[in-house]
Amino acid sequence: MPGKSPFPRIALLLAFIVAGSCALRATPPTAPSDGEISAAYHARSEQLINRYIERTQADNPEWGSLPWVAANFARGTNLEWARHRLRELTKEPSGAMFWMYPMVLVMKAGEPHLAPSDWAVIREAWRTYFPFRGDTENHWLMYYASLYLAAETWSDLPPEAWYNGKSSAENRAEAKEYILDWIKITTAYGRGEYDSPNYIDPYVSALGLLAGWCEDPELRQQATMMLEYELLDFAVENIGGVYGGAHSRIYPKHAMQPALGASSALAWLLWDQHELTLNGSALIVALSGWTPPPILQRIATYRDVPYEHRELKRTRWRMRHAGPDAFEIEDHMTTPVYKYSYVTPDYLLGSSQGGLLQPIQQQTWSLNWFEEKPLGIANTFFALHPHYSAKEGTMYFGAEWDDVVDLIARSKVDYTSPDKMMSGSPYEQVFQSKSALIGLYDIAPDAPFQHLNTFFSRDLAEVTEDDSGWIFAIGGPTYIAYRPFQPGEWRPSDWTGLLAGGAGAWISARHDEWGAGHRVRVSEYPKNGYVVQVAPVSAYASFADFQTAVKALPLDFATEPTPTVTFTSLDGTVLSGTYGERPLIDGEPLPYESWPLFDGPFAQAARESHQLEIRFGTERRELDFDASATTTRIVPLAP
Amino acid sequence: MKRFTLSRLHASLGLAVAAATVTTALTAAAETSPKLFMAAAFTKAQQNSSIPTDAGVFVRAASGEWHSFGPKIQAVNSAAVDPADDSRIFLACGNGIVRSLDGGRSWRMVTDWRISDVYEIEIDPTDGDTVYAATGWGPWRSRDGGETWTFVDTGLPEHFTRSFALDPAHPQRLLLGNASGLYLSTDGADSWHRVEAVPARNILRVRHGAPDSGVWLVGTEGTGAWLSTDDGKSWHQVAPQLADANLYAVAVDPTDANTLAVGGWDVGVWVSRDGGKTWAQTNDGLPSPNVLTLTFHPEKSGVLWTGTFEEGVVWNDLNDAAGWQDGGVDGALTNDLGFLPLP
Repeated sequence: MPGKSPFPRIALLLAFIVAGSCALRATPPTAPSDGEISAAYHARSEQLINRYIERTQADNPEWGSLPWVAANFARGTNLEWARHRLRELTKEPSGAMFWMYPMVLVMKAGEPHLAPSDWAVIREAWRTYFPFRGDTENHWLMYYASLYLAAETWSDLPPEAWYNGKSSAENRAEAKEYILDWIKITTAYGRGEYDSPNYIDPYVSALGLLAGWCEDPELRQQATMMLEYELLDFAVENIGGVYGGAHSRIYPKHAMQPALGASSALAWLLWDQHELTLNGSALIVALSGWTPPPILQRIATYRDVPYEHRELKRTRWRMRHAGPDAFEIEDHMTTPVYKYSYVTPDYLLGSSQGGLLQPIQQQTWSLNWFEEKPLGIANTFFALHPHYSAKEGTMYFGAEWDDVVDLIARSKVDYTSPDKMMSGSPYEQVFQSKSALIGLYDIAPDAPFQHLNTFFSRDLAEVTEDDSGWIFAIGGPTYIAYRPFQPGEWRPSDWTGLLAGGAGAWISARHDEWGAGHRVRVSEYPKNGYVVQVAPVSAYASFADFQTAVKALPLDFATEPTPTVTFTSLDGTVLSGTYGERPLIDGEPLPYESWPLFDGPFAQAARESHQLEIRFGTERRELDFDASATTTRIVPLAP
Repeated sequence: MKRFTLSRLHASLGLAVAAATVTTALTAAAETSPKLFMAAAFTKAQQNSSIPTDAGVFVRAASGEWHSFGPKIQAVNSAAVDPADDSRIFLACGNGIVRSLDGGRSWRMVTDWRISDVYEIEIDPTDGDTVYAATGWGPWRSRDGGETWTFVDTGLPEHFTRSFALDPAHPQRLLLGNASGLYLSTDGADSWHRVEAVPARNILRVRHGAPDSGVWLVGTEGTGAWLSTDDGKSWHQVAPQLADANLYAVAVDPTDANTLAVGGWDVGVWVSRDGGKTWAQTNDGLPSPNVLTLTFHPEKSGVLWTGTFEEGVVWNDLNDAAGWQDGGVDGALTNDLGFLPLP
């Protein structure tokens, strides 16, 4: 659709005049007011809650999880069924924090319709069921948010009334201390389990519970601000309801069909994108009564002006093999992660610097193109070196060197598969400038896999292998050019049969809907690399013109003895790099040392600042975690 | 098992905190003879899930049956009992440290969020208020019976600590197995000093012989087994056949310090009956060559128990030629195996 914005509604509403680096001016009077945005949000909240109730199978006593029970208790519907399910799901609890937080939702949202006998059942479970706190950040946050609210519900119980032998006061104090410490670290050094399209769910759930029902004013304020922080983090890398770019954790289904992620359900609820899908974290937010600040919707939906956005994150805590870049926070080791995203009306191309950044499920980079209704569409393009190792496993988990890989594969069954669609690799280096991205690989001889996988979605159009070596394709409103450095072979994306074979509930459930029909280009060379150049369809008169322009770009690369490349992108930027060395953009090394927590037109935060400034037009919303305060102000227009 | 009659008044120290009423399958019993326990996760049947089919501490009854002991918590790595007071039991858990003061009738998590991934616990036999914890994030110490904990990492370049052992004759002396090597403390964990003779590799298991035996045995990641027979003054690699092995399990027979055993991945169990001079593979009947835990019976000389990776816990009387016998468990990944004076 050349010349036509894919955001007509938003473009009409937000017809901004842009100056300099996206210093946006005042919102015109045609834009929806704060009140209108909030009213529409609350209407969607009710719609979501009602959808849960409508789809309740009240005549089926074997069906229904705690979120469904909570929705019905909250509205006083299907109470007989809800009481039955509550008892069934409380009889022998399992799942640790995954039981705790929806149970708290039942307790809090369902409070008006819970009978004394219901409370007795719930109370007994909290006395006898000893949940595991888990092994990662989202587990701990869910655990402590739930424990805090439960202990606040029964505020004066003695130690023997709780599974862990601690009194209500002790549990509240410990939970509050952990949550505030987590917030302090996150707002100083970035989150360790960052930007996950599906693992946004537990974070938003935990914070939504606290924002909705915590009585402690300090904790409630901090959690509410942190909820806003998390959603801002998504909003700035949102493209049509899809969480784009690089991710710490992602499952195959969310990598291949991004709109299946929890983030897309939240995008519908929070800023009316995508379409209504049922999701636990969205339900919690809807039931909580919390109202998102309208500025988030403006940021999430305004895409008329392309922008660069940088973020600093960190790896999960590393027990061993922390590496030369590691640093210590409160006796735990971590390593910085440098994220970069380029966001346009038509696509989001985002990356991290590559390397082994996160356990098991890392997505180092991805391209997502805009789709008005992305559900059912694999609107993504990415490549990776599939890798697994005991070193990676023991870096993050306490299991032994010889069994850790096996144990990981018990739940992440594709971990050792050569066709895996997400992976961190110690032999990968990625860098990016706006719409151009480069990946370099120098795979060690003893690495389990010596090939690269590049995902070609079934929804790409006109995939063309040019004699020049470039491969061209069209993804929605986006032209894609991919120049691999080594030959490759086309295979079905489930070429080992693992995913199609149904291995692993999370890994491959409903694979035929989201995983079938794609291709993977497999390149079996340990010294390898590629260039990705994308552009809006609207920028060229034809696909052929785009191809001609790309083929004319200066490109020099070599794979021996060490992969190296120099490429001049469509906007004239020169990207150059040699594997193992700091990449150069227009001759300047990428300034990782000065990478801020957030740096873009909509978000600014310095390292260790505990502050975030959210920007849109002349609006400034400041989250100050040290002062536990939120301030909104309007800055004067520049003369 | 050595018993002490120290008059430590727990109540006066505030240790008699009302504890949780999480009940166990066992009731308090007068019998306190050493019982075999395993801290295990049943991972063999775990498919498409991050949660084992069962987990926790299990105790073997005289009948050969295993019973769950203590609260059912995922990721329990070990258990310890105060040698001076067998009603004081500590569990080393992924969540932290869980303690019972009444022989297992009730339990309390005595650590907070700052302590997790606890692998082993050592209790000073002369001062039960001093308790040490080896964790994936470094060693911790309590001076008040587990009520409060202090991080004690002075001298450690890395934190990951898989195992440690206390010298029962000199409880201020501890050997600690760290990701960066073997470390000795002579001041009750106030400071640590590397044992240079042992390679600076991840130390997987540290064990001490009977009091005054002077025997320490260490299993390492990639450099086999290391032995000291002079109370840590000198060390030498033993079992040259295993020089490159990952040895997750080591044990010294408490009734005979000349009987040693080591076990590891893909090598099974190796035994020395001459104080480490010669070693023989002892795999007859062993259901798997992947060995994670070893322990000798504290009273029956030469009776050795081992836990394999998911293929069962088995035992072997080294004094006869019957080989390994079924210990009654299949499918478990044993994080620790030992004898404790449990009720």
